[in-house]
Amino acid sequence: MSNINGKVYAMNVITPMKPSKTWILRLIFWVLGVWKPAQADLIQLKFIQFARWVIVPAGSFPYLGGRQRKDAMRYDYLFFFSNFNGTWNQYIDAFSAVLSDGLNKIWRWSEKFPGSVPVTPFKNYITSVQYDTDYYFSAYPQATVNDVEAAHLVNIAFESLCTTASSQTPEQFAQSYLQFVIASQSHLGATGEAPAVF
Amino acid sequence: MSSKSGNVYGLTLLCPIIDDPGAIPSHDLQIRAHLAKLSLGPDSPFAVAPGTHLARLVVLDDVIYVGAPSCEEHLNSKYLVFESNCDGDRDSYLTGLARKIPDALDAIWSHCVGYPDDGARNIPAFLQYMKRCEIETTFFFAPVNDKTRTQTLVALRNKAYIAHFIASHQGKPPAEIQRNIGALYARLKSLPDPEPAAIQVSRKMATGGRNE
Repeated sequence: MSNINGKVYAMNVITPMKPSKTWILRLIFWVLGVWKPAQADLIQLKFIQFARWVIVPAGSFPYLGGRQRKDAMRYDYLFFFSNFNGTWNQYIDAFSAVLSDGLNKIWRWSEKFPGSVPVTPFKNYITSVQYDTDYYFSAYPQATVNDVEAAHLVNIAFESLCTTASSQTPEQFAQSYLQFVIASQSHLGATGEAPAVF
Repeated sequence: MSSKSGNVYGLTLLCPIIDDPGAIPSHDLQIRAHLAKLSLGPDSPFAVAPGTHLARLVVLDDVIYVGAPSCEEHLNSKYLVFESNCDGDRDSYLTGLARKIPDALDAIWSHCVGYPDDGARNIPAFLQYMKRCEIETTFFFAPVNDKTRTQTLVALRNKAYIAHFIASHQGKPPAEIQRNIGALYARLKSLPDPEPAAIQVSRKMATGGRNE
């Protein structure tokens, strides 16, 4: 069992919500989906590779018949799965400091949610509703989301440089190469083992 | 469709686990024991099969009671949660899994209610089962959603070569850099695709508790 694979942490959080409130959260997610500027803070945090929220309505836990007993719950459940870079504390601290309003909009419909500020009761709440991961696979565990973005930026610039290089004079190429290095130099950091941070 | 972001699909499955009092150990424990030994490296089934960027499996024993005044309730079934961030669409991804790693899928999901008796090799039945277990994602966030797994692995590998090239060509004449960069470009194009999960990163602490 491990919540960590390389530089990525798998967080699983499941919270109960009164069904009468769920539509509000669905509306909030709909707005987040169609109005991209609302995701700006989430994008700028730059440490989430993938994240998702899944609302499971009270009567919608999969029922496949046979010997399974159907689950008829009183609450809807909000599942949150995040794949983030860094440590649990860094993640929760950053969420609380930067996205407190956004977090409150999402989780205030969950039972007993204390609010994302102050951070101590928020961390206690997340701890109480978090599940450990039994198996966590990453195709590129050595890379953070910044590494992935940087790699694609460098590759695009390199491809562009190389497709024109053969038709350029050395003087023209020198200028193109200089521009390429200037554009890429901040994206060339090596990937590898993550530092242990406590 | 909320389960899709760009070219990436967010697959969420809740698969009820067989509750058999006669099974010793119980099916949920058998799943956990199997997953604990499953490789995370290039021989992981999710590395062998195409399309998986990140995936997790979680045995959900029960829902958590958060305290009064909320109501306490419990699940009748335990569920195997499968969360995958993958290329393309659901059906092509699941078909890819079924074609490449049927035995690995059977080893995990044969402990679940309703899984086809003939396993993942019966692809239509396998797809139908997975669809019955799928929960549509309400909101899916994927900041890099226009690249396939292979494109990302290639980009990460190439970046290391390019960084080395730049460092080792500082101060060299432009004509020499121009000649050598053409050779590097040709070499990168000729390399085979990198293996997923080939670079393993060791951590002294691996449980990821709240103190880490």
